[in-house]
Amino acid sequence: MDATTVIAVISCAIVLCGWLVLPSSKEATVKPVVVSEERKPVSVSA
Amino acid sequence: MKIDSGDTAWVLASAALVMLMTPALGFFYGGLVRRKNVLSTIMHSFFILCLISVQWVLWGYSLAFGPDKFHLIGGLEWVGLNNVGFTPNADYAPTIPHQAYMLFQMMFAVITPALISGAFAERQRFKAFVLFSLLWATFVYDPIAHWVWGAGGWLHQLGALDFAGGTVVHISSGVSALVAALVLGRRLGFGKEKVEPHDATMTVLGACLLWFGWFGFNAGSAVAAGGLATSAFVVTNTATGMAALTWMTVSWWHKRQPSVLGAAAGAVAGLVAITPASGYVNVMGSIVIGFGAGVVCYAAIQLRERIHVDDALDVWAVHGVGGTWGALATGLFATVAINSGAANGLFYGNPKQVLLQLAAIGAAWGWAAVGTFVILKVVNLFVPLRVQEEEELLGLDISQHGEPAYAL
Repeated sequence: MDATTVIAVISCAIVLCGWLVLPSSKEATVKPVVVSEERKPVSVSA
Repeated sequence: MKIDSGDTAWVLASAALVMLMTPALGFFYGGLVRRKNVLSTIMHSFFILCLISVQWVLWGYSLAFGPDKFHLIGGLEWVGLNNVGFTPNADYAPTIPHQAYMLFQMMFAVITPALISGAFAERQRFKAFVLFSLLWATFVYDPIAHWVWGAGGWLHQLGALDFAGGTVVHISSGVSALVAALVLGRRLGFGKEKVEPHDATMTVLGACLLWFGWFGFNAGSAVAAGGLATSAFVVTNTATGMAALTWMTVSWWHKRQPSVLGAAAGAVAGLVAITPASGYVNVMGSIVIGFGAGVVCYAAIQLRERIHVDDALDVWAVHGVGGTWGALATGLFATVAINSGAANGLFYGNPKQVLLQLAAIGAAWGWAAVGTFVILKVVNLFVPLRVQEEEELLGLDISQHGEPAYAL
């Protein structure tokens, strides 16, 4: 295994290990916008 | 010399792929600006596509690739494509028509000044942008392209390696962007009010189209349809994926959430970094280059924010720093096992290649910085570089072009 391959494997390992320790979620800082699913009737002129 | 139909088809197709990158860049940048400036930002890329398409055939190609003068610039013998016909040119591409090579190179000349436009987004006067782009393409891009790629160019003769434009395209545009941001000054409200991208989906789509077009950029630079083009294609894709993963992970660690725009920016950083190396490194080298791009370009953005430079869309951090890392990494990981016509890098027993790469990096940084500064000052003598305050507040779409982007 040459030096380039060793560094490449270490690079991949760092990224993969990072995913194991990183937070899975963060408290939401933005209030969710509530959207009504009800629609107002639309009048259509003949 | 006999024309190879397969090589010709690949280079023509690659030219079309690279052409697509410039409007893709317009959308990548367009999504990152506020909605009052999106049309003007897209117009920067579209306008340059038109401008350099004409400049290149008139004098640009001759200055960059024409018969060498003092190892510094091409002569005027090929002005107006005089002597640039369908017979292959042995110095550049011995199996395709000379005009096909000229066309392929034109698309590189198009996208390079378009990259700079991200630095002065949301505040540059369109007329000043027009003059700057034409002068910059002529006095900055064309000479650097000749040094690195022109037959007889001094960096080419020295042995510096740049397969698809790390120094010619990315360092030159990234460093020029930094100078332009410093000369123009910060946008109104910079650092006081939050400037949010108006359409992240547009930016991600732009990044995907850039990725697609970049296969022509790098694999097309083999100027032949064969093993080297295939290798360049593979390492381009690998480095891009690795850089996006790395950037996303670093930003996840730093900001506690995996950013979508970060992943898109990381992909572009990877594309930039692998560009000079794409014809010289193996797939393991491309993983290291992608990883490095994700780390150093992200760090460069943090530095840029800390020193309060308003390079609006981070052209310096992604292209200047990413291109520098890629050019240096070429000197580390290049191997003749991939390209027998090139040289080994430090990790394959040739430390001298690192010095050659540093020489090319220094030359590109120096010429781009000085040239851009002078051109901006000259343009400013005739046309103010910035729009007026009220025009900036109104937005460039209306104040410069009289058209809103969205009628919503």
